[in-house]
Amino acid sequence: MLDTVFIGLSIGSILLLVALGLSIVYGSMGVINMAHGELVMMGAYTTVIAQTYLGFNLFAAIPLAFIVCAGLGLLIERLVIRRLYNRLFDTLLATWGVAILLQQAIRLEFGLSFFGIHIEGLGPGLQSVTLPEIMTESFTVGEFVIQPYRTFIILVSALLAVLTWFLMYRTRIGQQVRAIMRNPDMAAACGIDVKKVNALTFAYGAGLAGVAGVMMSGFKTVMPDMGSSLVVDGFLVVVVGGVGSLVGSIVASGILGQLNGVVAFFSNDIIARAVVFAAVIAIIIWRPRGLFNYKGR
Amino acid sequence: MMKLTYSHLKVVVYVVFIAIILSLPLFLDEFWLNRTAKYLIYGMLGVAISLSWGYAGILNLGQGLFFGAGAYMLGMSLKLASPTSLEQGGQTPIPDFMMWNAEPNAVVDLCCINHVSFLWMPFQSQSFGIFMAIALPVLIAWLIGTIIFRKGIAGVFISIITLAMVLLARLLVVDAQSFTGGFNGLTDLAWFKINGYEFDPYTVSTYYLVAISLVIVLLITRVLINSRAGLILQAIRDDQNRAKYLGFDAASYQTFFFCVSAAISGFAGMLYVITAEFASPTFMDLSFSIAIVIWAAVGGRASILGACIGAISISMLGASVSENELFVESWQAILGLFFVLVVLYMPKGLAGIAHGICRKLTVNRGEG
Repeated sequence: MLDTVFIGLSIGSILLLVALGLSIVYGSMGVINMAHGELVMMGAYTTVIAQTYLGFNLFAAIPLAFIVCAGLGLLIERLVIRRLYNRLFDTLLATWGVAILLQQAIRLEFGLSFFGIHIEGLGPGLQSVTLPEIMTESFTVGEFVIQPYRTFIILVSALLAVLTWFLMYRTRIGQQVRAIMRNPDMAAACGIDVKKVNALTFAYGAGLAGVAGVMMSGFKTVMPDMGSSLVVDGFLVVVVGGVGSLVGSIVASGILGQLNGVVAFFSNDIIARAVVFAAVIAIIIWRPRGLFNYKGR
Repeated sequence: MMKLTYSHLKVVVYVVFIAIILSLPLFLDEFWLNRTAKYLIYGMLGVAISLSWGYAGILNLGQGLFFGAGAYMLGMSLKLASPTSLEQGGQTPIPDFMMWNAEPNAVVDLCCINHVSFLWMPFQSQSFGIFMAIALPVLIAWLIGTIIFRKGIAGVFISIITLAMVLLARLLVVDAQSFTGGFNGLTDLAWFKINGYEFDPYTVSTYYLVAISLVIVLLITRVLINSRAGLILQAIRDDQNRAKYLGFDAASYQTFFFCVSAAISGFAGMLYVITAEFASPTFMDLSFSIAIVIWAAVGGRASILGACIGAISISMLGASVSENELFVESWQAILGLFFVLVVLYMPKGLAGIAHGICRKLTVNRGEG
């Protein structure tokens, strides 16, 4: 049973990793970023490339992926998102377009494949990342088998959740973000540079997606369309947790992760996913604003 | 001479469109007619999306659920009528995949070859399949609609719920291998029959079945949105509270049009099975549902005909371009880029531009 709980916890922590960035971006900017899954994918490819060309291991790839994806996020914000504030549905559609573009950029090796140039690590094929040795050998504490990589993922997502909490509630910029969440016009009137803060928020969310990508690359095959199902999962977590609520996202990812783990233990993975979807639909119908709704919007 | 007004021009556009699709058999061979029929069916999905998104303000990211439901319902009937099911040696026709998945000592009869196969029994009648192809999507839409609209669940959450619904349905269909054919879907289907006449998918008659259906759907939708109910629906879209305070039961109107949109999608799914001769869980892929939305957005979500033409032309362009090896992958990228640009710079889609031109051409600045 303890094993099942542990597996549920690690599924939940991956959900949280993906959902954190989405939650911040949606909560503060009202932007539905359908390209979030593709940013995760970019993070995973950053790991592959860093490993192939720079000899970086997984740990060293984490800050690199954060920087790469945050930069990409800034670019997307500047070119697309900034023009679509207050057009919620349109952000959903436009970022879906961005998602397709990012996927194809990897598949076509940024267009170079047309000229017969191929970059190892990109392209439509599957890639994989080798884990550092200390992450592969499981060890036992008492009767309990600990898989170091799963534990590492749980730790990283806990750390990122704490870091995000700290940024949001203990720093000046976090205060500004929360002010914008409540009322962007009033925040602007108080002298907050809404555009700049939003750009930074989006970049931070994208950076978190990048870190999630590094973590994913450690236990999943890296391929161009790995992101599209992730964004759905992330969204379910955000919606169940309540928009803009950090605690909500954490609790929701915990619940959904456990549900997935437990049901998968008793039946199979497909049924588990189906149960999770059904639970999400039920929760939205029961509490349309999510479990922990952030009042005052 | 009578002056050309805006609404006249609109009628002209409709007439031209209908004339074009009805005259295509003069120019195309059977292979191309079959393909074009599929694009017209996508056009019908464009109409359904435009009705729910453009006119009711409900962005349904799970249109594929209704399309798939319609496709599977008629598909089940056509599967039972297919030679591969009739030749299994039982008293009743039995789909081949049920035989493959059967227990070694199972009774070879549709009633009890596995514990859910009896649900297939009524589908031996094709009329029942047709009825269910419309009824099931409407029933699902009615259930979703009554719950979400009564609960006052707004905007994006409806999109997320419908999206989760379609993914849930896809998982269940793939998982219930012995009942639905699983990942392979329903293949080797019989031809659709009316009064003993068989609709061979590669003939003019099947093309006309689809084309005339599209024309009828277009006209019915036009009548609906210009009716009193349609105008109230648009009022609700623009300001829900105001419409409620004026005494309109917003939820009923929204549910009704959501059901109409589902019925159109189910009908489209049914026609697709007749034309393409298969039903597959890919109809319920997220990417297909979003593709429908993209077609409608590019064509113009607020215009029934615009969304329809958008769906037809993009899917047609996509299919022809994908045949060129160089473009298979880059077409997706071009589509993505094009789509971002449309959302950024032409929020009303191509129809928005066409409307603008029409207005300049005509004297009467009447209703849009």
